[in-house]
Amino acid sequence: MSALRGRVALVTGASRGLGRAVALAFAREGALLAICARGAAALEAVAAEVRAAGAAVLAIQADVRNSRDIERVVALTLEGFQRIDILVNNASELGPTPLPYLVDYPPDAFDDVLQVNVVAPFRLSQAVIRSMLTQREGVVINVSSDAAVTGYPGWGAYSVSKAALDGLTRTWAEELEGTGVRIHAVDPGDMDTAMHRAAEPEADPIDLARPEEVAEAFVRLASEPHPATRLEARSLLEVRSRA
Amino acid sequence: MLKLAGWKLPPELRASQPAELRGMRRDHVRLMVIDRTSGSITHTRFDQVGDFLDAGDLLVVNSSRTLPAAIPARRQDGSPVQLRPSVRRGQHWDALAVQPNPPHANVPLAAGERLAVAGTQATVEGRRADIPLLWRIRLDEDGLDRLLLAGEPIRYSYVPGPIPLEYYQTVYATHPGSAEAPSAGLAFSWEVLLGLHERGIETADIVLHTGLSSFQDDAFDAEHHMYEEWFEVSTLAAAAVGRAHRVIAVGTTVVRALETAVDRHGHVRALAGWTDLKISPAHRPRVVDALITGFHEPQASHFELLQAFVDGDLLRRAYAGAIERRYLWHEFGDTMLIL
Repeated sequence: MSALRGRVALVTGASRGLGRAVALAFAREGALLAICARGAAALEAVAAEVRAAGAAVLAIQADVRNSRDIERVVALTLEGFQRIDILVNNASELGPTPLPYLVDYPPDAFDDVLQVNVVAPFRLSQAVIRSMLTQREGVVINVSSDAAVTGYPGWGAYSVSKAALDGLTRTWAEELEGTGVRIHAVDPGDMDTAMHRAAEPEADPIDLARPEEVAEAFVRLASEPHPATRLEARSLLEVRSRA
Repeated sequence: MLKLAGWKLPPELRASQPAELRGMRRDHVRLMVIDRTSGSITHTRFDQVGDFLDAGDLLVVNSSRTLPAAIPARRQDGSPVQLRPSVRRGQHWDALAVQPNPPHANVPLAAGERLAVAGTQATVEGRRADIPLLWRIRLDEDGLDRLLLAGEPIRYSYVPGPIPLEYYQTVYATHPGSAEAPSAGLAFSWEVLLGLHERGIETADIVLHTGLSSFQDDAFDAEHHMYEEWFEVSTLAAAAVGRAHRVIAVGTTVVRALETAVDRHGHVRALAGWTDLKISPAHRPRVVDALITGFHEPQASHFELLQAFVDGDLLRRAYAGAIERRYLWHEFGDTMLIL
């Protein structure tokens, strides 16, 4: 219950779904939490849950599209906790639903998905990794998707954005080799979240993992080095259940 | 005190933009290396800095993060004023009050007046006795977030357009609190720093939150008023300094912090607090062996500090050489290494 004791974690998109589950799992493992999301009320509710789990929490209402908000998130976290050990780039935009084919995709929506899913993680990771290099340790986890490697009709912009995020992660991992700072991309698999329901309204929740289960993979990856840069959450959970 | 008679900086040598916005890498600005022992001056590029350092040398950087410290405020009569907090103690600010637009002349406030600032209200308590251009202002509510939401980076006349805050941050910026960028380190990239680590040249970081470099009043600035700045030297940094072959301060803020933390035996100790230490020819550094810094006008107090490192003749030669070779001045400009 203390795999992350005293570690400072910053989780984006933490007001619901996987972000919320990761924040709560980190809190239960002893981490100090900075969480951000656009919706103040939902974010505050998660902050209360994190507090109830016994963790210090800083809730920052922010839109990762906005570079001023990115600076706010980083500066406020560093002011509050003096360091950032773990960054989870979880905030993500699916795009318009029902999911349109690329040939029908509104170009502005395409831009927006790339902004949220690629440009924002780049900017935020850059600011955070700079300070992690100064402290000579840290871990960044980017939330990827199966759609990064497989083409599914309708998932166009999202798929492109996650493939780009994988590419960002790959290059960055090479550049950070030997520095004490590591970066991973994790495909969480299909989960029972609002995003998944929007993408695939017909899916049966019975077939889907609960974000709370998947969050354990993030705890594991945040607390122990792993040789793979990109991995599926499931593989970490299977290792754990065998252990 | 050294004066440079007839010294005048050609206006086009003031760097008006960060290197990246001038189409180059931040670590590709120029580097002038001044060797105090031989009196030689070498001209190179910043990313070659490692050629002048040895394994066992320690670079000490200031990991203070720059704030958007030009804060819009409104007086009770509705007129706008810009506050530049130089010293912050929670909700107590010692701030310059200037006009919102260039040339940002000082605005006389009145003791007792109320200001609307950054989403809250504030009371002007009066002038600071030692530095009357700074106003003691008490905010009704504290919070860094207000400042981050409302402020813009402080910008001087030679920077004509707004520059995003990220260009004012060093690549190791961590702890938020500086009113102006600790600019001597702006030229470092992590590629350069990691390259130095591989060569056995280590880095350590201290924190010193910078105040204002100008009070927007030439006569007042020329008097070199010094005031307190918050600093922190960690146990880790103090130990690294103790082990180092040579200690190279990246910026005069690092000199100020380290020299404040020197005990009577000449050792740097972990220490945090406010420093008003003035480094000058009369107070020579005890632990800092070398300095990386930028080019600033000789009227600035910066120049007085440099004379604690370099004798007048050599410094005069260096500055003349910099002008002759078209070095760029100020926070986004070129750099010098004084060995």
